[in-house]
Amino acid sequence: MANQGPYNYSYIFKYIIIGDMGVGKSCLLHQFTEKKFMADCPHTIGVEFGTRIIEVNGQKIKLQIWDTAGQERFRAVTRSYYRGAAGALMVYDITRRATYNHLSGWLTDARSLTNPNTVIFLIGNKGDLDGQREVTYDEAKRFAEENDLLFLETSAKTGDHVEDAFIETARKIYQNIQDGSLDLNAAESGVQPKPTTTSRSPNGASGTDGSGPSGDSKCQC
Amino acid sequence: MSTEVNPSSSPSTSQQQVTPVQRKLQKILDLKLESDKDLIESLKYLSTFFNENSVRTRRSLRSTIEKRSLTLNDQFEECFRVVKQQLDQVNDTVTSMSTCCEDMTQRLKNVKAQTQELINKTTQIQNENQELNMKSSITEGFIERFQLTPNELNALRTTRDGFLHPEFFNVLKRVKSIYQDCKLLLRTNQQTIGLEIMEQMALHQESAYERLYRWLQSECRLLTAESPEISKLVSEALDGLKERQVLFKYVLDEYGTARRNALVRGFIDALTRGGPGGMPRPIELSSHDPLRYVGDMLAWTHQSTASEREYAEILLRKLKDWNELQKTIQTLLGYITEGLCRPLRVRLEQVLVSQHEPVTLYKLTNLLKFYETTIKQLLPVDCQLVLVLDEVSNLSSKMFLNALNATATRLIEKVDMPTNDLNLSDELRRTLALLRDILETHSTSMIPFESKRTDFQQIVYSIVDPLLQMCSLSAAKLGVIEMAVYLVNCVSAIRTTLAVFAFTDEKIEMLEGQIDANTDTLIGEQATYILLRTDLLDAYRIVEKQQQESNANSNALALKPGMDTVTLKAAMIKFDSYLASPDLYIMPQLKYLTSAVSREKIKKRSVELICAAYASLYSAIMDSKNSYANPYSIMPHTPEQIVKLLS
Repeated sequence: MANQGPYNYSYIFKYIIIGDMGVGKSCLLHQFTEKKFMADCPHTIGVEFGTRIIEVNGQKIKLQIWDTAGQERFRAVTRSYYRGAAGALMVYDITRRATYNHLSGWLTDARSLTNPNTVIFLIGNKGDLDGQREVTYDEAKRFAEENDLLFLETSAKTGDHVEDAFIETARKIYQNIQDGSLDLNAAESGVQPKPTTTSRSPNGASGTDGSGPSGDSKCQC
Repeated sequence: MSTEVNPSSSPSTSQQQVTPVQRKLQKILDLKLESDKDLIESLKYLSTFFNENSVRTRRSLRSTIEKRSLTLNDQFEECFRVVKQQLDQVNDTVTSMSTCCEDMTQRLKNVKAQTQELINKTTQIQNENQELNMKSSITEGFIERFQLTPNELNALRTTRDGFLHPEFFNVLKRVKSIYQDCKLLLRTNQQTIGLEIMEQMALHQESAYERLYRWLQSECRLLTAESPEISKLVSEALDGLKERQVLFKYVLDEYGTARRNALVRGFIDALTRGGPGGMPRPIELSSHDPLRYVGDMLAWTHQSTASEREYAEILLRKLKDWNELQKTIQTLLGYITEGLCRPLRVRLEQVLVSQHEPVTLYKLTNLLKFYETTIKQLLPVDCQLVLVLDEVSNLSSKMFLNALNATATRLIEKVDMPTNDLNLSDELRRTLALLRDILETHSTSMIPFESKRTDFQQIVYSIVDPLLQMCSLSAAKLGVIEMAVYLVNCVSAIRTTLAVFAFTDEKIEMLEGQIDANTDTLIGEQATYILLRTDLLDAYRIVEKQQQESNANSNALALKPGMDTVTLKAAMIKFDSYLASPDLYIMPQLKYLTSAVSREKIKKRSVELICAAYASLYSAIMDSKNSYANPYSIMPHTPEQIVKLLS
């Protein structure tokens, strides 16, 4: 009964990727969804969208990732996409100090426009360009700790830690679900349970969905 | 005893008698009694009872013997009777046995005859049996192949609780394959059964589809959660139903309706309730900020549409044909999102109607256009939501242009005379600020590059042309110089505003043309002004006139009024003082020119004109035919010197 098809998953998590223009948000997404580096990535127009199914603690989770444009002119548009994101990946470029300096602005946006449970993950991208580094790992790490963020340095070019960042975020969200701090039944939590089991009962019949689907069996006569 | 001799035989036949006697004798003589065993035996036997050899005995011998013989014969007869009787008995027995045997044989024969028949029958029956067995196994095979088992039938039937049997699809598949196999049957001579089974299977199939449809319908009705849980079975069932296009469509309609309601509810929730604990805040809370409000609603719509697309993909995951899948999903999405049209449209229109500010309207238009393009990518072109977005963005664009035109109309309706300093009117400044704001929004707007160009033209034509018109109108009552100064000021301001934006080259070229024309006017005026101030204007005009006329019958200039040496000398003195301080000879109006560059240009170009005028005057005075007595005393400077002095 195990269907390995692309549609078998237990949850949908909604992510948003934010950060200054040119820090490699779209490249990160591309690297994550396609496992390829996009050398000449055009500027994102407004928002773009990608999905991938990952596995966390044996649960298949579909990530619905909204990649926003970093350009200032799109800020009005991208702001509207923070709603209901379960995870926010906040990206800066380790070779451009300005992108790091703008993080507090992004963080304020993320905090004020998402719900309190949203997991915010700080990503220092372009880790492959260590020679041109303008922001040290330790400094960013400290910033992350002060603001209670998860943190990793990645390289969308080589793919280093890209998976980790996305999956760690999901793991944290999943943990929140298990703790019960994330209420799945509330609208716009950014997480949508999608047990592969069929239940004839309409949604909302059970609030203790945290343990996940208990199996594929379905009682029938 | 035949050897008994009878001597009393008739002697008549002596001869003959002799011979027999002879023969008898001979015979007797030939008798060898010792070798006659019979005789010996007889004698032996005789000796047993003939004990006394007496006459009497001898006489009675014969009778004794006869007696004895009789007795013996009797005895023999007695014995033999028994034998005979026994033999008879045996005979009887044998005969009876024989009859018995015969009877038996007969009966056996009969039985055999009968058995033969039986055997024949048995064999026949056995053959039949075999044949029947074969037929039975064939029939069983046939039934197995062409009929459903009770279990399978059960799987197809409705259960009370409305569950779908897990075997349902396998059975349905079998029904289908049976139906297909029947077509093979029809090619053989088993057409009747083939047709019957086909009919039966068609019935089964029909009822199964009917049941599948009902089941799916009720399942789909329940898919109203914010994120529906679409089981594999539902997808499978839907795929199974694909062969019944009508039912398939009905189920999709059912699903669409359920999702549509869910979507509308989700939208209203997002508008009024927001996320858990009010985070994110309800969208309606930002309704005072039109851009935020519209953006949030449309972003929600975009994201939900993307989600719905995913759900639809999950629902239809079993469909193989990619093209068909995409088409179906598109149609479905179009239907689902239709529910959003009304609440969205009402709100968007409300926002638009309450806005009068062209810049805000323009930003809204851009936002709407951006989302229209973005959302359009997910939906079919002809779906309601796209149409609504298209309409609303058109409305917005129209309202923006209306607001712009209203501003423009106001400009023309209320034309003020320019102030004394010939500078831009406040109205013009305000309008230019507005234009700048709009163009700033425009250049940073998110809509595709190409549509920016057309947009731009509309904006520019709506604002710049009325502005120019307003300037001309307000300048109408001014003198030539003032008008030119004023227009240069205004047009330059417009030009400067436009210059920093893309797509303005054409317009700027046009504006520069106007600036140049007015500047040229000013240059001419400035030159004339200098000539007038130095009293050289008349002289210059006369010289010009002379040069234009045919040279032949012209009189010498020195003889013409106003061209006499004295007058010219006086004028040249004035010209000298001009040469000493040319800045004093600048038209007073020129100081109102806001652009220093223009002012410099006018100065420089007018000086060039003055130099040219001096040169032509100089050559005329020096010309001997003009009969000046001492031309060098009139014009002590050569034109080269003048150029040097003035540059």
